[in-house]
Amino acid sequence: MYITRTTLLLLLFSYLLFLLSVDWMSQPDGAWYRPFIVGLLVIGVAAFCHREQSDDL
Amino acid sequence: MTFDLSTLFILGVAYLVMLFGIAFATEKGWIPQRITRHPIVYVLSLGVFASVWSYYAATGNAFRDGFGYLAPFIGISLAFLFSPVMLRPLLDITKSYQLSSLADLLAFRYRSPLAGTLTTIVMLIGVTPLLSLQIQAVANSVAILTPEASQTTLAIVFCVLITLFAIFFGTGRGAGREKHEGLVMAIAFESVVKLLAMLTIGWFAVYEGFGGFAELDAWLQTQPELLAGIKEPDAPGSFHVTAILFFTAAVATPHMFYMIFNENNDPKALTLASWALPLYFLLLSLPVFPVLWAGLKIGSSTPLEYYPVTLGIDHGSEIITLIGFLGGLSAASGLIIVITLALSNMCLNHLILPIYQPTARNDIYRWLLWKRRTLIAALIWIGFLFYYIPDDKLSVRAIGNVSYIASLQFLPSIVALLYWPRGNRNGFVAGLLIGVAIWFLFLMLPVATGTNLLAFSGINTREIIALSLVCNIALFIVVSLWTRTSAEERASADICALDTIRRRNRTGLIAKSPDDFIAKLAKPLGERTATREVLQAMRDLKIDKQEKRPHAMRLLRGRLEANLSGLLGPSISHDLIDRFLPYTIESEHGSTDVDVIESRIEAYRSNLSGMAEDLDNLRRYHRQVLLELPLGVCSLGEQNQIVMWNQTMEKLTGTPAQEVLGSQLNEIGEPWSSLIHDFTVGDTAHAHKRVVQVKNSRRFISLHKAIIEKSATHKIKQDGVVILLEDLTETELLEEELTHSERLASIGRLAAGVAHEIGNPITGIACLAQNIRDETDNDELRSMARQIIEQTDRTSRIVQSLVNFAHSGSNKLDHTSEIVTVEECIREAIALISLDKKRKEINYVINCKHGLQILGDSQRLLQIMVNLVNNAHDASPANSKITLASRLVSGSVQISVTDEGTGIPEAIRDRIFDPFFTTKEPGEGTGLGLSLVYSIVENLNGHIDIISASSRKENPGTRVILTFPCYDGSANATGTPPESH
Repeated sequence: MYITRTTLLLLLFSYLLFLLSVDWMSQPDGAWYRPFIVGLLVIGVAAFCHREQSDDL
Repeated sequence: MTFDLSTLFILGVAYLVMLFGIAFATEKGWIPQRITRHPIVYVLSLGVFASVWSYYAATGNAFRDGFGYLAPFIGISLAFLFSPVMLRPLLDITKSYQLSSLADLLAFRYRSPLAGTLTTIVMLIGVTPLLSLQIQAVANSVAILTPEASQTTLAIVFCVLITLFAIFFGTGRGAGREKHEGLVMAIAFESVVKLLAMLTIGWFAVYEGFGGFAELDAWLQTQPELLAGIKEPDAPGSFHVTAILFFTAAVATPHMFYMIFNENNDPKALTLASWALPLYFLLLSLPVFPVLWAGLKIGSSTPLEYYPVTLGIDHGSEIITLIGFLGGLSAASGLIIVITLALSNMCLNHLILPIYQPTARNDIYRWLLWKRRTLIAALIWIGFLFYYIPDDKLSVRAIGNVSYIASLQFLPSIVALLYWPRGNRNGFVAGLLIGVAIWFLFLMLPVATGTNLLAFSGINTREIIALSLVCNIALFIVVSLWTRTSAEERASADICALDTIRRRNRTGLIAKSPDDFIAKLAKPLGERTATREVLQAMRDLKIDKQEKRPHAMRLLRGRLEANLSGLLGPSISHDLIDRFLPYTIESEHGSTDVDVIESRIEAYRSNLSGMAEDLDNLRRYHRQVLLELPLGVCSLGEQNQIVMWNQTMEKLTGTPAQEVLGSQLNEIGEPWSSLIHDFTVGDTAHAHKRVVQVKNSRRFISLHKAIIEKSATHKIKQDGVVILLEDLTETELLEEELTHSERLASIGRLAAGVAHEIGNPITGIACLAQNIRDETDNDELRSMARQIIEQTDRTSRIVQSLVNFAHSGSNKLDHTSEIVTVEECIREAIALISLDKKRKEINYVINCKHGLQILGDSQRLLQIMVNLVNNAHDASPANSKITLASRLVSGSVQISVTDEGTGIPEAIRDRIFDPFFTTKEPGEGTGLGLSLVYSIVENLNGHIDIISASSRKENPGTRVILTFPCYDGSANATGTPPESH
């Protein structure tokens, strides 16, 4: 299986971010849009990773 | 607040007409291609995923599941975020083999028409409710806005318009393989409308519903139950199952497959979609909560699902209501159009064509076009009937679930397609059937008939989904391992699997040329279609009609199969190609084209890491060594096919590698074909200095060969021959020159001896003759004495020439090294020649650059010039012109002597520097002049060339060009106009 380094990086980042933010997102007194901030972070990292991804797959 | 039906009708029709306009303008090229082909258009067109299920049902889901409503968006976003894992490899396969649907892909991978048919049937059953859902959502939203209107009439009008749009802009000009840029543009526009509508309603909900974000937060704090509800985790696994469901939907729903793979113009656009599409979904899902809460706050009486439309009504805003309505309309219409297009292709390729195929007499393209159009209309109206017939209108959520769960059953086969080549068609069919059976019995049947089997089983929907998937996977694996996989299916699996190298048969084809291809395919397709398809495949591969190489013919066959697959589906295409363009002999499994392996590895190079990367680097290094070896390397595979042709071979033969790779040896042209073939079949491993006539020159080639024994690895049976070609032409020429020099030297020594021995008696004879001349009074005797003296003078001159020749090349140190001004030397030579008044009249033209100097011996240079001008004079007709010129060329001084004489015939040009070779009458020349000039020029580190002075047929003239290293001081020389004497 060929998985690019950037894909692995994104996978690792998303998983760690989820672990770190799951409690923060579900705090009862937290803002309702917190999950969207986490989503935006993942998308930002994905944009960075895919920016350098070669198209020769 | 209610609206007139006519208002909504006009608005709806105007919107759909605008879609027509955008698609039409795109097709006509009125919108620039830099816009229509921009990757962002592709990304937005993928927003077709957000159907009414996302637009309307999201608010209901958000109320029931809290953040669980994001699961579908997260599922599909994961598929795109990790596109290199699934979407990108699938894009490569679908593009290479022109596979337009999941049914095509699975039929291609599992080499089974049944796989395609089953996939189509399951999709048809699974997706029809989704179509009816869209129609229902539009009709319901209109009913909410105009309660008195007939929903059925509205639904019919909507279906008619959508049918017309899909037929006009989705079916193209008939071949079915072209990209539909108008359609893509229109769908992208719909996605923009959806997003803008949702964001506007969200903004309205926050600022009109609550008065701002702070007020929204304050209101939320007064609703602890609601707040707790949105953050409460779902039932265990519920979220995950939904996410997996929608992850699969990226590939396993007809509309997404169609837009992602079929309408993709550039793989880079998918890279952009990898993060841009999740961003789109994030923005689309962001306003859902505010809209829901605003609806709840105001106490809306309509179902939760329709809050995006009713929020405007509740707050008395017509414009927001209409925006909400338009957003829903765009969500519904986009999905219906794309889904029916995709399904029509699938139905045609996998349900109709396997049963009935057009004859060669028909215009196949036209036949397919009309069948496709009929299918589109039929599918939309089946969706309408599914909406219209049931009395009890089903809930949005139930229909959505039923549709998407069917697509989940394709997940195991899609994963196996990329990552498990052992999976076979039996496993696929068994797994799919069991999964679909569970889905149908426990989910579809209850929804369709109201018979609730769940009551007996005591398990919930989530568990049914998991159960169906587990059974599907288990049966797929077990059956695949227990049953045999055909060689054909294994080859197909290798093509699709990511960790295997594509293997291509090396066998020959019955059809030997493009014309043969057309002739063979004319039987099933008709001559017109066959010609068009073959020419299209040739254009795709950039090969011309004269091409006959087996390698190219195999590529052409593969391309034709892929192109026909886009037209007729992979099963029919494969069957047709196999039947009418068969291989000559049964393919040998495992035999491999080295160049194909290499190109495949090259394509994957950036993905290699660790040991694989090291091995690849090693491979590249060894390959580079072979390519840049200063010996010609030619490697022959089975049936004398050329598999390697390095750079030296390219230079030696003048044939580029790409022209010969894959060719058979006898196709590379003479004399190389015979030379290599004779050597290959011969017994000897080495052949020394074989003479090859290349154009007008001879080349001396040594050959060496090594036989590559059969490899122990069963996968690569790379037996063949490696041949090294060593070009010894230069060595041979040097040897010849050395021999020539030695011969000259021996002649020189002989000449010196002869001159010495003859010189003394001649001097004696001349002295005696002078005595007789001076002392006798006898006139006759005196006359004879004078003749003797003349003859002895002449003999002396010949002897002196011999002595000069003997000494000219023997000792360079004898020459004085001084700065010689070229112009002066030329003028002196002409002055000397002009002393002889008996000679014919010649016009000398001197065209010298002032101040040109060389380092050498002025007497020697004078000797050269006198000799050359003498020769030119002898060869020139009377009153003709001899031009003497000197100039500076690239740091060298170039002196030329040009006459208008008879020229030097080609046949003797190689011999004119040989000693004693002359074209003059006997007694007029010794044949040592040019030979002497050659020797002196060489000793002065110069170079001499003799060329024809013009292209005249009569008296072309000769130009002798001398080149000497320039003395540094002459770089600043200035030009001067020509001067005549």
